[in-house]
Order: sequence, then C-alpha cells, then structure tokens
Amino acid sequence: MNNVQWVGFYTLLRRECHRFLSIPRQTVGGPLLETFLYISVFGAALGSRISEIDGVSYVVFIIPGLLLMSMIINCYANNSSSLAQQKMLRSIDDQLASPVSNYSLLAAYTLGGFLRASLIVVIAFITASLMVKLPMAHAWIFVLGLVLSGLFFASLGVLAGLIGQTNEQISSYQTFILQPLIFLGGVFYSTNLLPEPFKTLTHFDPIFYMINTVRYGMIGSSDVNPYWSLLSIAAVTVAIIIVNARLFKRGYKLRT
Amino acid sequence: MTDTKKTQIALDVKGLKKTYHSGTKALRGVDLQIKSGQFFGLLGPNGAGKSTLIHTITGLSMPTKGSAKVFGSDVVDDYKAARMYVGLSPQDINLDWFLTVEQTLDFHGGYYGMRKKERQKRIDELLKIFSLTDKKDSRGMFLSGGMKRRMVIARALMHRPEFLILDEPTAGVDVELRRELWEYVRKINEQGTTILLTTHYIEEAEALCDQIALIDNGKILNQGTAAQLRKIYKAKTLEDVYLKATGKKGEA
Repeated sequence: MNNVQWVGFYTLLRRECHRFLSIPRQTVGGPLLETFLYISVFGAALGSRISEIDGVSYVVFIIPGLLLMSMIINCYANNSSSLAQQKMLRSIDDQLASPVSNYSLLAAYTLGGFLRASLIVVIAFITASLMVKLPMAHAWIFVLGLVLSGLFFASLGVLAGLIGQTNEQISSYQTFILQPLIFLGGVFYSTNLLPEPFKTLTHFDPIFYMINTVRYGMIGSSDVNPYWSLLSIAAVTVAIIIVNARLFKRGYKLRT
Repeated sequence: MTDTKKTQIALDVKGLKKTYHSGTKALRGVDLQIKSGQFFGLLGPNGAGKSTLIHTITGLSMPTKGSAKVFGSDVVDDYKAARMYVGLSPQDINLDWFLTVEQTLDFHGGYYGMRKKERQKRIDELLKIFSLTDKKDSRGMFLSGGMKRRMVIARALMHRPEFLILDEPTAGVDVELRRELWEYVRKINEQGTTILLTTHYIEEAEALCDQIALIDNGKILNQGTAAQLRKIYKAKTLEDVYLKATGKKGEA
C-alpha cells in the first residue's frame, strides 16, 4: 500500500471513529449503561437467588455472555447504520470517487464498529471487575473469542448496511434476527439446563458457540469444545470478509 | 496504481456504453476527447446522459462497455491514478450532515493522501476563497443552500485536481455566488486546470467554454467551439443550436 492508500485508509478509519466519538453519550454511554444494568439486575438481584453454575456465581457466569452481547450488537449496529446512512445521504460518493481502494474502504467500515464495540467492552469489563471478582482461566481464548466474534458481526453489519435500503429494514434485522439469537444462545443460562428439544436446537444458533468460547476463556468451563468453536468462528469470519470484499470490488449497491 | 504515462489528453472516452440494471441505456457509445487545459462544456437535456458520463469517469458508475481515460489512466483498470486527477462537484448536494465544513474538507483531503499540515493550509485557503471561514465549525445540515453549494465546490478543489468536473454547479445559486464562482474557475483554468462543465445556462457555457459538446439519448451529437456549432446548425445563438440539435423546445 502506497502513501496515498495509507493516509486514505487512516482517514476513513478516523472518520468512522469520529462518527461515534462525536456522540459519546449515545454510542458509548448508552451501551455501557445497558451492560451495567444487566449485571446489576440479573447478576446482583436475581443472582442472589440462583445457586452456582459451573462452579461460579451466577453474576460471574453471565458476564462473559454480556460482554459478548455488547460486542456483537455494537459492531453490527454501528457498521450497518454508518454505511446505510452514508448511502442514503450519498455522502459516501466522496469516498467512492476518491483513489482509496475498495479494500481500504471495506476495512475502515469494518474496523469502525469493531473499535467502538471494543472500547465499550473494555470499559464494561473494567467496571464489572470493580463490581465482582472475575476469574480469567484462559485469557487468550477469552480475547480471541471476543475479537473474532466482533469481526464477524462487524462484517455482518457492513453486509446489512450494503444490502439494506432503509433504516427500518436494517434495524429489523437486529430486532428480529440478531437479538433472539443472542438471548437464545445462552447469555443468561447454561444450555445444559434446557430440556430437549430446546437443548439440541440451541446448537444450531451460531452465537451459542461464541458465548461458550468466551465463557470458557473466563471461567474455564463450556457446553462445547472451545477450540472447535474458535476455529469455526474464524472460518465464518474469513468467509464473510471474502464475501464483503467481493461485493465492495463489484461496487454492489454502492456504484451504479 | 500502475505507472501510466500522463498524456496531454485530459479525458479520452471511447465507445462508452452504460446500461443500468433496470435496462435503461444511459450511454450508447460516447466518444469524447478533452485536451489538457480546456474549458469544456457538455450540454444536453435532462436524462441525456451527462451525469451518467460524469459518474462513469469518477467511478460512481461502472461502464458496461468502452473505456474512459483521465490523463492516460483508465478509470477502471487504473482507477487509483485516474481519480487522483479528478475533482467532482456533483449536481446533487451530498454533504455529510454531521460533519462540519472544516471536517468535510479535512477528510476529503485525507482520502487523497494529503498530510495534515498540507490539508490545514489548503482548508484555510478554500475557506477564504469561498467565504466560508465564519462557517467552518457549522455542520453541513445547518448551512443554507448557497453555502452548501460553495462547500461542495470547495471540497472538489481540496486536493488540487488537474481535472475539475462541475455538474450543474450554478443550479439554484444566487448571482453573487455565480459570479464569484466563474471568476475563480476561470482563474484556475488559466493556471492549467482542465474543466468539464455541465450547465442548463447556455449563456454561461458560451461565455466560458472553449469547446462544447452536445449530448442527447446517451450519444454525443456534435462538438466544437460555440462559433463552429452555430455554423454547423446554421443558428444565430447557441441556444438555437441546442434546440435544433436536441429537438427540444424551451428546455436547456
């Protein structure tokens, strides 16, 4: 990548970060408060009535899932809305007519949401650590699980922003597909507690594997093999990045 | 970016065709050459293919067939080099509502690889030229129509393009801005910037352009100086030329 491409890519990324940093109450404060409320209500209030799960208190059990949920939603929501908004205003034309490569454009849009979500997750993690004592059984699996899942949903957000024609369409993907998959993936419970056929059905939810991988990283126990899960998440992340790269190269729904 | 040798032809379009997914044939084999340093006018009715041609040159649209080269660099195969030369002021205002005037210019400069110091210097220049200094911290959505138009033109000039495309830049613009704009554009043209102008004000095209092409139904009908076109169409004014060539009445 030459000088123009580096500066161009850096500018695109700076622009994406500027977008969420200029309205921090909405983009960072809101999601943080939401995570804090989940920990307080489900963990402290409800958790006091629930006995240990997998050898840890209920509040500690749900924290990895809550962090992942925050990562997923913020990656997806940021990227889908950023791309869709710029497409609707056609302000994206300024970027499309510039010499910045299609891949730089894709990378910047993908990383924008990923960085926003990472910022929220780091602050939420620090806040949670101050509230309860958090274990860290396999730090690298915990971090890698969050990073790969984040990149997957950041890419999915870009894809939704690319395909979506209206804000309503994009938010409906989140409300009717993403949120149910997250909640049914076991953020608040161990799927081992579920009766059949729900236990088996949960295994068709990709987010179930992501939650369990991140949970294994923190508490050291999981409903599935975390190494296979990590590999699967990496594979689908690479696959969606390839799909997005091909669509950006074609200018799908970007260039007429 | 390939190492294409820069030519003296600013724009070389050969057999350019564009058919949209809807089946609309917007360009039906456009051939056009603009020499470096020319002030070139492109006249045609609404839907003639002017904006599609501009979009294809700037990468906002992908050609179906044919080629377009900017200073020798192909707009598809060598798009990074081609786009470095081009500055586009689009017909429709497409500012980011949430960015300030200064940020808009700053990000644009960055997309073209300009360093911070260089960007700041250029921003100060453009804010002054387009009387936007007082508005530099205003967001795009809070600017008046005329201010938005100034902003879009300033943005197109941010990276000092050698080939400036002005797609109906004076539509809905007051006389004062129009005069200021033409004064400035004339000046940069004299300094060597090639200009491609589309306008519905035929008298503007006549006063400013060295060469004029008439486009309709996705094809170039004729090209020459205003005098040459008047002679070809046996017309007294360029407006008559336009009406005769396009078969339109009252629309320019």
